[in-house]
Amino acid sequence: MSDSALERRYRRLLAWYPAAFRREREEEMLAVLLAGARRGQRRPGLAESADLIRRAIGVRIRLLGAGPPGKRWADGLAMFSVAAPVLLVLATVLEVAVPFRLHAPLRSAMIAFFGRRPQIGGLPLLGVRPFVVALACQALIAVLVVAGQRWLALAAIAGTAGAWIAGLYWLPDLLQVLSASVFLLAGAALIASPGPRHGRRLLTWRHGIVLALCAAAIQAAALLYDAASPLARVLSRGHSGGAPYLAASLALAGAAAALAVAFRLNPYFLLPLAVMCYSYVLQLLPRSSSSGNLIGLPTPGHLTVLFLPAVLLALAVILAAVLGRGPSRPEPSRSRSA
Amino acid sequence: MQEATFLILTALAAGSQHGYGIITDVWEISGGRVRLRAGTLYSALDRLRAADLIEVDREEVVDGRLRRYYRLTPGGSAVLAAEAARLAANAKAALGRLSLAGGTT
Repeated sequence: MSDSALERRYRRLLAWYPAAFRREREEEMLAVLLAGARRGQRRPGLAESADLIRRAIGVRIRLLGAGPPGKRWADGLAMFSVAAPVLLVLATVLEVAVPFRLHAPLRSAMIAFFGRRPQIGGLPLLGVRPFVVALACQALIAVLVVAGQRWLALAAIAGTAGAWIAGLYWLPDLLQVLSASVFLLAGAALIASPGPRHGRRLLTWRHGIVLALCAAAIQAAALLYDAASPLARVLSRGHSGGAPYLAASLALAGAAAALAVAFRLNPYFLLPLAVMCYSYVLQLLPRSSSSGNLIGLPTPGHLTVLFLPAVLLALAVILAAVLGRGPSRPEPSRSRSA
Repeated sequence: MQEATFLILTALAAGSQHGYGIITDVWEISGGRVRLRAGTLYSALDRLRAADLIEVDREEVVDGRLRRYYRLTPGGSAVLAAEAARLAANAKAALGRLSLAGGTT
């Protein structure tokens, strides 16, 4: 029957509309479309199809930028713009406060090689000038976001990136990767969100607990990174001893994720946080049995894999704000009638 | 207010109508000039409902197909009356100026 073929084709076009809209409207719209069809018509007309698709996209865009999701998106990003720089400082401070404790076989191998107990990380880092510059830059950014100074914080991020490029700045590999992701995402969140002052008001001790667990997971990952490094593998003749660190890092990350769910934290706060931590997780994957971690000897391909999600999310956040449907306007005007 | 919106409100001014009824009525009111498409109609109906200018009157199933009837709310009637008065005043002014300039009316 031609009517059923036409109906099927109209339904396919109506599938462009969001599911919630279709639940309420599909049957009604279908009746109107079929009532308006010519006798024996088998296919929807071109203009009719174009109109349906255009309006369906319009409905989707309207749902994207209006109402509660838009507000939550803005709130989540504002909180992230404060939390991310603070997390970065926390991770760097942990790097100093918790020196690597190497797995026993690895430690004895390194003592045999160097003739002394190896000291990686810990307080001696504070005697290394580029590391101190890095820590000072991070601390300045964190202080500025906590103080609610959006534009000064952005300027400090730009300055830090400049110092990094100029070589004034150095961090252990792992934090280097994290700081690049943090600066990208925090910068985008600062530009696109209602700002750190708004985010600061929304942050609670629940966010603090999840962030502290993330920082601890990162530190455990740092221990694993060292234990699984090519040097460690050579020195310990394959006894990398990374398993306990991997288990600790995964357990801490799992606890952070479970608490985030239990506390019902804003998903738009958690998304950039997860993307930020993604570089960590990925770089720890051994590239092959002999060449250490992904970040050990990074190629452009590796860097793309590590940073692409952060770059894409940062661009999406800024684009959404520029298009005016994004987080910088959490409560769009709904007064237009038609 | 866009012309399509004005015509939809006008179609509902005399009583409740279902979607296809609105399309045919708008076609007649506009003298065959405006042919609403389903996507456009339902976009407009959605916005008008969100603005509380129209509401659902009742639902019927005819030949196994759902028909939903819409009607103006008191707010919708007021907005339509104000818009009609504005258009009438504009039209009167335009016609008045044209006759002053010696044009025919």
